[in-house]
Amino acid sequence: MQFRNRGNPKGRNLQGSEDLISLISLSEGKKGVIAYAHGGFGLIRRLAEMGLTPGVEVKILRKCPFRGPLEIEVRGVALALGYGVASKVLVRPLKAESNG
Amino acid sequence: MAKQLRIALAGNANVGKSAIFNQLTGLNQNVGNWPGKTVERAEGTLHFKGYKIRVIDLPGIYSLSTFSMEEIASRDYIAVEKPDIIINVIDASALERNLYFTLKLLELEAPLIIDLNQVDFAAKRGIRIDVEKLSEALGVPVVPTVAITGSGTNELLSTVIAVAEGEEKLKPLKVRYGKEIEKKVRSIEKLVGAKLPQLCTVYPPRWIAIKLLEKDTDVAGKLKNHENGKEVLNYAEEWATELEKIHGEPSPIVIASERYFLANKLAKEVTAIEAPPRISLEQKLDAITTNKIFGYPILASVLASMFALIFIGGNFLSSGLEFLFNNFSIYIKEMLSSFLPAIAVDLINKGVLAGIIAGITIALPYIVPFYIILALLEDSGYLPRAAFLMDNLMHKIGLHGKAFIPLILGYGCNVPACIGCRIMETERERFLAAFVVALIPCSARTVVILGLVGRFVGLHVALALYAFDLILVFILGRIAFKALPGEPVGLIMEMPPYKKPSTRNILLKTWSRTRDFAYIAFPIIIVGSVVIEALALSGFTSYMAEVASPLINGWLGLPPITGIPLIFGVLRKELTLILLSELMPLESLTAIQMIVFSMVTMIYIPCLATIAAFKREFGWKKALAVTTIDMALALFLGGLAYRLLSLVMAS
Repeated sequence: MQFRNRGNPKGRNLQGSEDLISLISLSEGKKGVIAYAHGGFGLIRRLAEMGLTPGVEVKILRKCPFRGPLEIEVRGVALALGYGVASKVLVRPLKAESNG
Repeated sequence: MAKQLRIALAGNANVGKSAIFNQLTGLNQNVGNWPGKTVERAEGTLHFKGYKIRVIDLPGIYSLSTFSMEEIASRDYIAVEKPDIIINVIDASALERNLYFTLKLLELEAPLIIDLNQVDFAAKRGIRIDVEKLSEALGVPVVPTVAITGSGTNELLSTVIAVAEGEEKLKPLKVRYGKEIEKKVRSIEKLVGAKLPQLCTVYPPRWIAIKLLEKDTDVAGKLKNHENGKEVLNYAEEWATELEKIHGEPSPIVIASERYFLANKLAKEVTAIEAPPRISLEQKLDAITTNKIFGYPILASVLASMFALIFIGGNFLSSGLEFLFNNFSIYIKEMLSSFLPAIAVDLINKGVLAGIIAGITIALPYIVPFYIILALLEDSGYLPRAAFLMDNLMHKIGLHGKAFIPLILGYGCNVPACIGCRIMETERERFLAAFVVALIPCSARTVVILGLVGRFVGLHVALALYAFDLILVFILGRIAFKALPGEPVGLIMEMPPYKKPSTRNILLKTWSRTRDFAYIAFPIIIVGSVVIEALALSGFTSYMAEVASPLINGWLGLPPITGIPLIFGVLRKELTLILLSELMPLESLTAIQMIVFSMVTMIYIPCLATIAAFKREFGWKKALAVTTIDMALALFLGGLAYRLLSLVMAS
């Protein structure tokens, strides 16, 4: 199942999908806003339950080399995501100045 | 008679819920399973202000494990058993995330008290929560606690009593969604109320409506058993489809987003960030232990020192206890001989007593230190880091990082490791992990490997056997991964901050696990010992050894008599060595024979207690399948090793 979503429930439109990158392309210490996740129903549901819902800000805390897992911060909690899982989460990267 | 109360603890994992449970109930607790589910259920009792209070520790949500199974167990308990009060334990340092679950509990219309735990830890991170404001916003009492020290638990219990006696009234917050969702929820709710009156006596109709809109498969399943269920389901499905059309996302995501939006709003209103958090010691420790370079040597040394401690400590305890109990068994034997026939004495002595004694002197000395260290690793928060580091490698055998945790457990004992596979998300991952776990040489197998090969052939050869086993685990894991149908699941795991573990908690955990182990393993060991002793007395065992001789002698190149210890070894692996030493001087075996013997023992069958654990977790069929595969593999590899080693030695 795949839901390509350009808008989120609050009506804030995300820019065209060309600005969207996968979580794995975001470098350590950088932030992004979740646009959507694609993949199986179970996976996107699990991600949503863990707080990875569209519109939420995430920060990359750590990345392991060789297609290893990522550690991210979302809603004040640190989460580990496998490489395969993270590659299915698309984010709109935030500029460095929007930190804080 | 004391007045009775039934309370349940609910909350996310890593919020210190089990620490609260331990503070409340101490040693008066027992751990079992939820009926029909492989989810742990802990229960305890306490007395307070003239009340006898039963406490049920509901499984932690989104812990390391399958969130759905545990969430379903929790909410069914709340809705069906209707405990007097639910204590929702939440972590003050991750309020938003925890309030998400609180909102779900409010939707269940459960009588709620909030235990705002780890306030000390939150304060350290510069987070201060306005307790009054939170209590006002949620409409239920909020009691701040520090579970590790026990501070606040008395206030918590007083609040429970106050609510139970009606002194303190609950005015729980009604969770309201946005207009779009709310409209749909209400119209489904109306239909649910009209068509499913029976179900509505158990679950609140509004809750059912929300779950249906969320496409909750468990609730949908419940509806199917009802007369008008199908009609309601179809109706709800239409609304869900419409919601998806508007939002362009699956309806569960839409509702989860809204709920998180509410949790975020609530959390913001009551939280004050006092100081920008400085980098704490815990964070530094976290950075080093998950570092892509330093993390691995640290992991290796943690594991190495863990095993060293277990073996040194275990050896010490084991020899001490053995000395004690051997004298005891001689005494018992003499006492029994005075009034029982020799056969009965043998059955009791070599069967029942030897079983109990071997369990106490061989299994427990290794298990207890292992559990202590495990609880230490668990409570400090290191295990998820280890899982994080190993994720990449575990993916090669179709599992993810979390499976590394039962794998480590396996080196101690396969029984808890097999149960530990519950932290995997799907039935497939759980079985795959357990299959691999059964091949991990537990402490009993280590006794054989070190006691035979390590002692007589050389430590390097023993270590080579371990290395061979790891390769085997990897290859077989990969084959099983390819052979089992289904998609591998990726890693999604919370990484709780490092915390200082409490001694009390560690000892309580060790105690309850040891007891759990004894309940599973001891009956099997005792019954098995008696049966095997009876077989030996009837001459069946030596007959079996004779029959098996072509296999033992012809194929494996071992003296025929070694068939007996190998048969007995099903019971407990270390028994193979003990029996072997009774049957013949160990030195009379050749180096090749020792290696082959140890190798077969290492692989051939998970012991009887492990088979029982397999049966409990996966059913008879899978338990037998694993046993058969391992046995065939051990014999095949043993024979192969015998021939290859003979060739190498000859040249």
